[in-house]
Amino acid sequence: MSDFTERVVEARRVWEELAASRVPVITIGTASCGRAAGALDVLAAVEDTLRELRLKARVMQVGCIGPCYLEPLVDITAPGRPRVSYGNVVPGRVHNLIESCLVKDNWLPKQALGHFGEAPLPELPETPRFFDLPMLRAQVRIVLRNCGIIDPDEVDHYLAREGYAGFLAALGRPPEAVIAEVREAGLRGRGGAGFPTHRKWEVCRSQAGSEKYLICNADEGDPGAFMNRSLIEGDPHAVLEGMLIAAYAIGATRGYIYIRAEYPLAIVRLRRAIEQMRALGLLGRNIQGSAFSFDITIKEGAGAFVCGEETALIASIEGRRGMPRSRPPFPAIAGLHGKPTIINNVETLGTLPHILRHGAAWYRQYGTQGNYGTKTFSLVGKVRRPGLIEVPLGMTLRQIIFDIGGGTRKKFKAVQTGGPSGGCLSEEFLDTPVDYESLTAAGSIMGSGGLIVMDEDTCVVDIARYFLDFTQKESCGKCTPCRVGSRHMVEILERITLGQAAPEDLIRLQVLAETVKRGSLCGLGQTAPNPALTTLRYFRPEFLLHVTEKHCPASVCRELIEYRVVPEKCTGCQRCVSVCPTGAITGPRSETHNLDPDKCIKCRACYEICRFDAIAGDAIIIRSKRSVPNELTP
Amino acid sequence: MNSPHDPVTVTIDSRSLSAARGATILEIARAAGLYIPTLCAHKDLTPYGGCRMCIVEVDGMRGFPTACTTPAESGMVIRTHTAQLHEIRTEILRLILSEHPCSCLVCDEQDECRQYSATIRKAGVTTGCRYCPNDGQCELQEVAARLGITEIGYPVYYRNLPVHKDDPFFDRDYNLCILCGRCVRMCQEIRTAGTLTFLRRGPQTVIGPAFDRTHLEAGCEFCGACVSVCPTGALAEKARKWKGAAEREVTTTCPFCGVGCQVRLQVKKDEVVGALPAEDDLVNRGQLCVKGRFCIPEIVSHPRRLRHAYKLRDGVLVDIGWEEAATLAAERLTACPPEEFGLLVSANCSNEDLYVAQKFARAVMRSNNIDTTFRLAYGASCAPYVEHLRAPATLEDLRRAEAVIAIGLDTRFGRSVIGAELRKAFRRGARIVTIHHRPHDLAQIAAHWLRPAAGQEGELLRELMAATAPAARGGRGKTTGGADIAAAAGTIRESGRTVILLGPMLLDRTDGPDLLRAVHAWAAALGAAVMPLPSQNNFLGALLMGAVGELLPGGAAWADTAARDRLARRWQSALPAEGAQWNSSLVGRGPRRKVLYLLGEVIPNPRAGAETVIFQNIFHPPDLTGADLVLPAAAFSETDGTVINGEGRVQRLHRALDPPGDAAPDWEIVCRIARAMGAAGFAFGSAREIHEEIATLIEGFDAFDAPARAPHRWPLAECDLPAAASAPRSDGSATNPFLLLTTNLEHTHRGFAMADRVAGLSRLYPLRVVEMNPVDARTMGIADGETVAVTAEGLDRCWPVCVTAAQPEGLLHVVLPPGELDGANPRRVQVRKCHV
Repeated sequence: MSDFTERVVEARRVWEELAASRVPVITIGTASCGRAAGALDVLAAVEDTLRELRLKARVMQVGCIGPCYLEPLVDITAPGRPRVSYGNVVPGRVHNLIESCLVKDNWLPKQALGHFGEAPLPELPETPRFFDLPMLRAQVRIVLRNCGIIDPDEVDHYLAREGYAGFLAALGRPPEAVIAEVREAGLRGRGGAGFPTHRKWEVCRSQAGSEKYLICNADEGDPGAFMNRSLIEGDPHAVLEGMLIAAYAIGATRGYIYIRAEYPLAIVRLRRAIEQMRALGLLGRNIQGSAFSFDITIKEGAGAFVCGEETALIASIEGRRGMPRSRPPFPAIAGLHGKPTIINNVETLGTLPHILRHGAAWYRQYGTQGNYGTKTFSLVGKVRRPGLIEVPLGMTLRQIIFDIGGGTRKKFKAVQTGGPSGGCLSEEFLDTPVDYESLTAAGSIMGSGGLIVMDEDTCVVDIARYFLDFTQKESCGKCTPCRVGSRHMVEILERITLGQAAPEDLIRLQVLAETVKRGSLCGLGQTAPNPALTTLRYFRPEFLLHVTEKHCPASVCRELIEYRVVPEKCTGCQRCVSVCPTGAITGPRSETHNLDPDKCIKCRACYEICRFDAIAGDAIIIRSKRSVPNELTP
Repeated sequence: MNSPHDPVTVTIDSRSLSAARGATILEIARAAGLYIPTLCAHKDLTPYGGCRMCIVEVDGMRGFPTACTTPAESGMVIRTHTAQLHEIRTEILRLILSEHPCSCLVCDEQDECRQYSATIRKAGVTTGCRYCPNDGQCELQEVAARLGITEIGYPVYYRNLPVHKDDPFFDRDYNLCILCGRCVRMCQEIRTAGTLTFLRRGPQTVIGPAFDRTHLEAGCEFCGACVSVCPTGALAEKARKWKGAAEREVTTTCPFCGVGCQVRLQVKKDEVVGALPAEDDLVNRGQLCVKGRFCIPEIVSHPRRLRHAYKLRDGVLVDIGWEEAATLAAERLTACPPEEFGLLVSANCSNEDLYVAQKFARAVMRSNNIDTTFRLAYGASCAPYVEHLRAPATLEDLRRAEAVIAIGLDTRFGRSVIGAELRKAFRRGARIVTIHHRPHDLAQIAAHWLRPAAGQEGELLRELMAATAPAARGGRGKTTGGADIAAAAGTIRESGRTVILLGPMLLDRTDGPDLLRAVHAWAAALGAAVMPLPSQNNFLGALLMGAVGELLPGGAAWADTAARDRLARRWQSALPAEGAQWNSSLVGRGPRRKVLYLLGEVIPNPRAGAETVIFQNIFHPPDLTGADLVLPAAAFSETDGTVINGEGRVQRLHRALDPPGDAAPDWEIVCRIARAMGAAGFAFGSAREIHEEIATLIEGFDAFDAPARAPHRWPLAECDLPAAASAPRSDGSATNPFLLLTTNLEHTHRGFAMADRVAGLSRLYPLRVVEMNPVDARTMGIADGETVAVTAEGLDRCWPVCVTAAQPEGLLHVVLPPGELDGANPRRVQVRKCHV
């Protein structure tokens, strides 16, 4: 133990040294989201600039701090000053940014997003604290506390910020006490279903036999969800510490992390973190001199959505085809290789160190009765400020979408929670508190944390079709209702979007949805109809418009819309003529163009270029083929 | 809590039912006679829960659990038939039917179709009728009828998958597949062969071998277990299509090898339409190999079956009646002195046939010149091989073995039931050592695959034997990696119960006799049991019945005068004055026979060695003028009797139907001839009567109706089984570039190559085709399928070539019928392209 304590002292020294760095520190968010926005190019530009300016500075790569819409984020910390954030930094801006901040001492008040100091900064009097930005103010960052703050490859950073203190606290108590603490905290599984974590653990703990397994489910597959990836990329040790705690509590000797192969950066980070744990004596036999032995293996998934289902996940680790099996027996009794197995979600595990470190009572101050603590969400879609957020349970959808997300540009229409397994909730549900029971009562689910916001440009029929198509393609093919039923549902929805459906099809769709929901084997099939069921329930008029009037109010369903040139607006700039792939638009320069609907394939190219580039703007419009009686307009 | 052994009591549809702990709801309901519709459930397979037809309501359980997967717990209250369940089941079945061509449920002609199988050819592809076997075994039809489905209500998707017809024995039309997964589970769990799997996902999910290979390429054994469990017509036997459902079943013993599997013959009217494994039998445990599963109907219903007796007159065969045939045979035989008589009897015949045959030879012909063709095929290996049959290992030994040594054994097609047992042994931790010169199925499960260099099998085996001796020192082997042999020897030394499996390789080799003796001594030293795995179903019976001149019924040697006297008293007849002067190894080279009686046997060019040839078999003779008298015999399925398998179990043959035309059981024909010759003691009216006479001579040869079927060590006297030495002992000029290994064709039935009678088999067992490594073929400029001349001293043959990477470089391999080629084996040969 003393070795470890010494190491923590050393780690604190390293961390304090960084805070009191004598050279400037430039922090760049280079998680997958940052990289997608070009953070690696920015990183190269930063290094080039430092060389050019002959500046000595420390460049630190961190995980995602949340506001993805501001990526790439570059933060600059001058010696003795707090860190200041700059958003949407493109490589071309880097030179100017660094030169002005670090050479000219001009902190570019117009560009600065926020700072990490305590008090307002004299040089940036108008700039708020970063965590007081509208997107962050309402958040409670417990699981994500290190994301964007520490270098995920530096175990010292994690140790300095009380890393592994939760595990050591657990190790000092009997496993039953650890389970009791988690029960007290009221932690529920963050993978989606919200099953009380301690209940699974107790079942597993009480099973005879010394061979038990702990699996971290990092097979995050919902379209638009990236909470787990961001957590692993930004703070891998938090998840690993959670695994140690869970394994100790249930008596597991071996752990697996089942992670999608599509998360290469997260895998690299985990591998390095596991090596660091080994070096610290946190894995292997007799960890920290205790009787507890544990080791972790990473298993990369091969890209099947259904492998997020725990029995399919187990089959996949065992080397079999990833297909779910019926329960009982539950994995906590007979799981991997037939042994008691606990499968916890990344976020559940990431929460454990905090509960063990601060106690259940502390954790229960967040959230509401029965739904304690916080939940991370990936807030995406037509919202102004998409990104990774963490909020206390019980916050309303309105607070999340409008206060944190900044609302939608056009009129809000719906929010999809829980990915393809969840439902589309309409405006009337905006004041629903986000907790397991309320979302279920509304016909949706909490899910793993995807929140997709839609505005009036989104067609709910098309959305239902999209999600159903996703689940039918990802169905493992084992059980009939899911394999065949979802296929029929997609076909009906497709017919609706093509304007070929009859009113009976809506009834057929409803019956099918119920059959698939009730008859399917696993969670994938049982929840697959949710997008269709909720949209049918809350947006029935829009379905009826498609079916009876062949009208798509959002102007999305291709067969129901047409493109028109507005003669009054068209300046004859020929931009649209140049992008049209089928030659449907013709017309000499400076004269109103003609659009031949027979040639038009509705690819949207002319519309986009007219909106953003053309001199006239909005001279090309998309409109419904049919005029619509007023009373049917939703 | 209840103890794990207490029974559980549940309430199903307000009936209180008890069952052993661990039973599923479905099992309890079925046992109580309650119907719950199922499609994917099968009693032999692990529960799957895929079709969702068996959903039930259980108080206190969320949703609708499936009866097949849910273990019953005490106090459960279960409802299996409610309006809601019916509604969901109906809806799910409609979904299944929307993907399964099912015009048979709604077609106007469905009644006629089932009755007469008449309307199929009129139907289109998308209705499914063209490939559906319409065998009355469609479980989908049954469930649809039970649920009262008359219309589907969904658009029908025809998946338009190609129908796989390239593989032998069964077609696969996955358009009819409902993805119940039974075939996959059967292949993986029970056969542990792993040929079949699910491919792709979502609506694209199909079943088949991985990477879309054919079954032949994927290592399928064609055991047909998948076909048997298919609830629809997706997997359909080619030979059985549209034959309809069987009217009755007769359980008998498969006649195609010495394992002695129990088969259920599927009989419709006067035809065997199929064969299925007997369920849960103690020998084959519900499994069969390709021969037992698919070849029986094709053999016994073959168009070339003999239906009448014929005599040769002026070079043509003339149809005659039994009277004339018996008289003619009696005439020729009466004129034949004992020393010039020869009787070759098939070890595929029943004990009763064999007994009557040898009694005829000894008591009527006064000759000991009786033999099977085993000596013709294996010569001097015969005697040491018989030594292994005195105390053969049993399947029970194999099922308990900690280590198994397989010598020259490939179980993919023949003896695949043994292969399945070996894979089970592997799964429970047994260590398997296999010695084979080419890739074979056991290599996948072997702890050690010892792969000898070309022709070095014997040397390797000797090295291994030496290395396992307690005093052995780890010297480096010469024939393969020395480390391999040392490691394998280590495994063998460390293991307790060991079983040695004798594949056909040793028998075929020139040094076979020495090696067989060495294995015998080795097994004794190791304390191991040897399983000789004879290729003929009643080889042990042939020895025990005295169907070789050197042995008397009961296994005593001819030289045993006391036994001879006992026999003479029992028969009330004089016995031959001389011992055997002739045996099958003299065929083609011994003194000419006056009469050669081929009882269920076929030899090359019989007329060359005999004045008169009597040919008695189930098929026409290969050479129509090769016999003077042709007598039609009943097939195994048309006769009663007993056979003894390689473990010494006495098992029954049951008559399933009448022989075609005038054909009669072998014993009956022999008795007819004996009576025509005026002999007494041949007034048998049935096989039972013969069996009763045998029982008076052989102790432990028990009841005809219900033989004990336990493995028995039958007394076989030690006696010499002399065999004429193969003429050229030299193994060919050392300068010849290739080594030729010949294998005697094992897969014969009553002397005929089965592959000649069953088209599918010819693709599995290439006969008279020389296999060559691709490198050798390239060097020689020979392409696959071309003909080559293989020459050496005393050898000049032309055979087509099969180029295969399985064959080691420098080694050629060819399978030939017994007696077709003399000389050393292996031997060095020259090869040249043959321009014909």
